[in-house]
Amino acid sequence: MAALQLSLAVAPADSPPPAGPPAAPPEQVGHAPAMPELWLGVHLPQPDPALLQRLGVLAQRFTPRVSLEPPDGLVLEVQGSLALFGGAARLYRAFRAGCHAAGAAPVLTLAPTPLAALVAGRSGVSFKVLDSQHLVSAVSTLPLAALRWPPQVLQRLSRLGVYRVGQALRLPRAGFARRFGKETLQMLDQLVARDADLRPLFTVPERFRAKRQFVREREHHGEILQALQPLLRRLAEFLEARQCGITRITCRLRHRNQVHTDCVVRLAQPEAAAARFMEWFAERLGKMALPGPVRSLELRSGELLSRAPVPESLWRPGEHGGGGESGLLSGSLELIERLRMRLGEGAVHGLACEDSHCPEGASRPVSPVAPDFQRDASARPVTRQPARPLWLLEEPQQLREQEGWPQLAGPLRLRHGPERIESHWWEAHGIARDYYHATDGHGIAVWVFRERRPPHRWFLHGLAG
Amino acid sequence: MKTVLARLLEHPGIWRGRSFTRLDTLSSGFPELDARLAGGGWPKVGLVEILATHLGSGELRLLLPLLATVTQRPQARWCTWIAPPLNPYAPALAARGVNLARMLVVRAAKGPQRAPEWATEQALISGACDVVLTWITDPLRPRIVRRLQLATQRGRTLAFLLRPWSSRVAQEHSPALLRLGIEPRNGGVCLSILKSRGGTMGQWWMALDGAQAQAGG
Repeated sequence: MAALQLSLAVAPADSPPPAGPPAAPPEQVGHAPAMPELWLGVHLPQPDPALLQRLGVLAQRFTPRVSLEPPDGLVLEVQGSLALFGGAARLYRAFRAGCHAAGAAPVLTLAPTPLAALVAGRSGVSFKVLDSQHLVSAVSTLPLAALRWPPQVLQRLSRLGVYRVGQALRLPRAGFARRFGKETLQMLDQLVARDADLRPLFTVPERFRAKRQFVREREHHGEILQALQPLLRRLAEFLEARQCGITRITCRLRHRNQVHTDCVVRLAQPEAAAARFMEWFAERLGKMALPGPVRSLELRSGELLSRAPVPESLWRPGEHGGGGESGLLSGSLELIERLRMRLGEGAVHGLACEDSHCPEGASRPVSPVAPDFQRDASARPVTRQPARPLWLLEEPQQLREQEGWPQLAGPLRLRHGPERIESHWWEAHGIARDYYHATDGHGIAVWVFRERRPPHRWFLHGLAG
Repeated sequence: MKTVLARLLEHPGIWRGRSFTRLDTLSSGFPELDARLAGGGWPKVGLVEILATHLGSGELRLLLPLLATVTQRPQARWCTWIAPPLNPYAPALAARGVNLARMLVVRAAKGPQRAPEWATEQALISGACDVVLTWITDPLRPRIVRRLQLATQRGRTLAFLLRPWSSRVAQEHSPALLRLGIEPRNGGVCLSILKSRGGTMGQWWMALDGAQAQAGG
């Protein structure tokens, strides 16, 4: 089949015009008559890419040759499936029933060429042409607008009084090609099966799914993990063969009485190594309480994502510049992932400065940035601001006072200050503080403040570190 | 004569008792400290224990020049802070040259799970960190310290364990490469080298440089 399509593809597009109505010219021998095609066209009244995708999956049940015509069209070649479904009429009805079940009411057409099926669907007419001999007469009445040519082409044709496909087919070929472009003529040829129409095939996104039934029920995490291992290894082989990775795996553990537990692992970057999967599942499963013994396991992958294989390096990262940038990058993210898996999502964060007058607001946790090795690290704003402590307390801690003087393991000794920090007057819970660098009784450098408003309490707010 | 001798001693074929290992080091930013450390600075790979009498004795300011140098490098790996007792304050770190984009803070509660120790080992063996700082207040068995020391070799990482300085901790055997005690005194710090593989022991007073002294130290 593929070889045939190839030979069709190289057939000259601008062959001399056929003498009469479509008596097959000699250079098209081996074309349509040798392998008749029948296309089922699907036209959605409203463009809906998601629905189109679903119908594409549905169409895969009828034939492997499905191609999408976004945003509202779909064609499938059904000649090879006619015998299986018991004829064109039955296949047509079966497909229509499938569409209705999917909640769609598209216009369905049958034609020997995909373009004819699409164009007929767009013009909304009932169009069931099974035989290529009747094709030209059937398409002649279709409006040219349904071919979706550029507006200026259609406008110029309308000035000539040409509105229908039949009228365009009667125009001299050479002149038509010169005035409206070779592509336009080629589309006309494809419409009436004078030229090959090769379309990219729609393929259903691949997923991995594997199941394992136990002879006896398993209770312990260790046993379950052990049973999971061969499945994960198969998953890794599956991914390796496709040079893909996944970011989401679900393991469904089935118990008695139709009860099941889902163990979902999400990764920050596409992964394909069995050992890595195993590690994540060990981590996840270890934390889960299972409602009962497990009877079977089912592993399902999420969407397959393309994954650039990480070049292996002889040296470890950090050793003679080993690891390389990609290795360094993946290692950095992997560490974050591993820590988050055990300690929780919020437990790992980066730090950033915030433009805030209030000391508490000037530092905030951010999600760690993936290292950008190209960027020069030294490009950072240099701000001249009064010295700040390296540690800040979550909440200022009130200091005990003795004879009006703040105490922290003995009387505080103020060394520098005050630095006055005030928020804007319109802020409801504004601050008005005098900050001092001080030393406590142990000799530790601290950052304290005194409220400017009564009752003028003293607070510890930071440690110099 | 002296220079000739010094040059002779630099010959890689000559090993002296004091420097039986050739250490790859990074300057600490404090000349007094560099002079006393084996190899003239912090080791690039290995475990260093810092025992502080109190939190905020100056242990962080002591490490700051190193953190600034390391995070500013073009191919810098993470500088990971594990189980910090308080919030690291970003403006102060940025003002002293630490590249915040390379900072990673890991919150790990202490407890029977030993989360800080686990996170430290993961960070060390991942090879994704240049420096790992871990605050551990619980008693640590030498076996764990030994394990972490080995992990630093695997990931080519420098790890600092920051622990409270009690007499019991000071007594115990440490598999770390270097063990420092730090105590605030007279606006500066009193540093003691309690153990140094290939270096000398000693105790001295040191100021934590001018700008930082102004910050309240």
